[in-house]
Amino acid sequence: MTEKIVKNKEKIKRHGLSVLFVHCAVAISTFVLILTGLFGQFPMAGRYMINRLPGLSWLSDFSVTLSVHYWAAAVLILAITYHIVFHGIRRDFDMLPRKGDMKGSVKLIMATFGYGKEPENDKYLPEQRLAYVFIGFSLLILVFTGAVKVLDNLPDINFSRVFMFWISLLHNAGTIMVIIGIVIHLSAFIFKENWPLLPGIFTGKIDLEYAKRRHSIWYNREFVRKS
Amino acid sequence: MSDFSRREFLKRSAAAGVASGVALTGFGRNAVASDVAQVGTMIDLTRCDGCKGLDTPACVTACREENKDRFPDPVKDIPDNWPQKKKEDWSGKKDLTNRLTPYNWTFVQNVNVEHGGKRYDLSVPRRCMHCDNPPCANVCPLSANHKMPEGPVVIDSDICLGGAKCRSVCPWGIPARQAGVGLYMKIIPGIAGGGVMYKCDLCYSRVKSGQMPACVEACPRNAIVFGEKEKMRALAYKRAAETNGYIYGDKENGGTSTFYVSPVPFEKIHAELMKQKAAQSHPKTPGFPGMPVDVENFTDTANGIAWSMAIAPVAGIAAAAGAAYKTMKGEKKDD
Repeated sequence: MTEKIVKNKEKIKRHGLSVLFVHCAVAISTFVLILTGLFGQFPMAGRYMINRLPGLSWLSDFSVTLSVHYWAAAVLILAITYHIVFHGIRRDFDMLPRKGDMKGSVKLIMATFGYGKEPENDKYLPEQRLAYVFIGFSLLILVFTGAVKVLDNLPDINFSRVFMFWISLLHNAGTIMVIIGIVIHLSAFIFKENWPLLPGIFTGKIDLEYAKRRHSIWYNREFVRKS
Repeated sequence: MSDFSRREFLKRSAAAGVASGVALTGFGRNAVASDVAQVGTMIDLTRCDGCKGLDTPACVTACREENKDRFPDPVKDIPDNWPQKKKEDWSGKKDLTNRLTPYNWTFVQNVNVEHGGKRYDLSVPRRCMHCDNPPCANVCPLSANHKMPEGPVVIDSDICLGGAKCRSVCPWGIPARQAGVGLYMKIIPGIAGGGVMYKCDLCYSRVKSGQMPACVEACPRNAIVFGEKEKMRALAYKRAAETNGYIYGDKENGGTSTFYVSPVPFEKIHAELMKQKAAQSHPKTPGFPGMPVDVENFTDTANGIAWSMAIAPVAGIAAAAGAAYKTMKGEKKDD
């Protein structure tokens, strides 16, 4: 829609400020939440002596980790809300999975290993769209179950034992799902073929030739046909 | 006073039988604000003498007898909590009655305190205070610890992994850990988990069946009174007014279901208890709580931050709507 080729720099704009802000806010807040969740809410920092590492003594101070967990959760909620509303208003659903994404992902992975030809791609790779939904769904589980836990911590609010048992179980399961999702997401960069996408995370721009070659559907739709 | 309270308790049990039935079976409800009348205790230090003449105070003996079937039975070779070379094993000290252990959920502290030019010998029964907003239950990552609608805070020993976070956030460090027992032994013993936490549950099963906690029933001097929490609070204030005494447990940790009445300020009792603790051979060993006055609730700070999570989505919606409007109007080239 509003993508543009950055003249004389052989770059193409893939993400705007909103996307960069959301990705950065979600990444940092999720990292802090996992850190303070695993090592603070689960008392693992002291047990595994992680608190003895330089600069990490605060991880075994539950009052600090709980407060940091709350602040990071607020940032995550803000970023998720921003993301949903921003793209919802613009009806910009490039990241949502499409029919055949599973098959497309397999083809793409096979092509990475030299088996077959890589299919033509839109703005996002099929596996990126699938990873987006998986991580997004996991984060939503964490936000909703986390909100219940926050309410339960308030004075005068005491949800039932069985309800809180399931909420905690879901919160813990959601954490594991997010960690798995992040590991899969980051492992994409093991492959050299995906490296040109990295600058896009920080600057919003990627190499023009790379976009033409690997994201041809997106490039042709947004730049060739419109020009 | 105790006769009054016992009659009161029995009267309440009978009259509120139906209501209690509903309340006590309503565990599955997602009640936000419980409509159940909560129970509590009033502990009168002007009456308790620590059962002088007995080897073990009657309340302690009764508690041990009542809960003996629930005491931990660990494996013989208890693994260390890797990567540390330690574990908490009280199975060789089951007979200890002078502190809180997994095998001793209540005990009596004795202090000699000066106040107003007079010395007082005081005996202080200690166990879980059953807080109004218990941080031990709130911070349990598995929700193994929970405040029941009736007031007692109960640990589910089938779920607890023994991380002991509950003890760390308890102002009195009440829950006691026993290694080599519980769920963690069925998962990856030694690698994750550390045992099971144990503490007083105010004889929850007895309370559910309309009985008094064992310690209350056993007290020969009626120093521990059990009943509806608000009545216990009122009774404590009445007793404090009568004796020109002091109250502990009403404000501490945001409020509890246990109200102590003492003829001397609790600051002095706390100071004496801390002296005793410091003189122990292992002062850092848990199970010998002080009585810090006006101690704050662990979750107070976090609860103060909770508002930010309510504001966050509003801010996100407003910012996103503004940004989307600008980009769609072409004022700002963005995607």
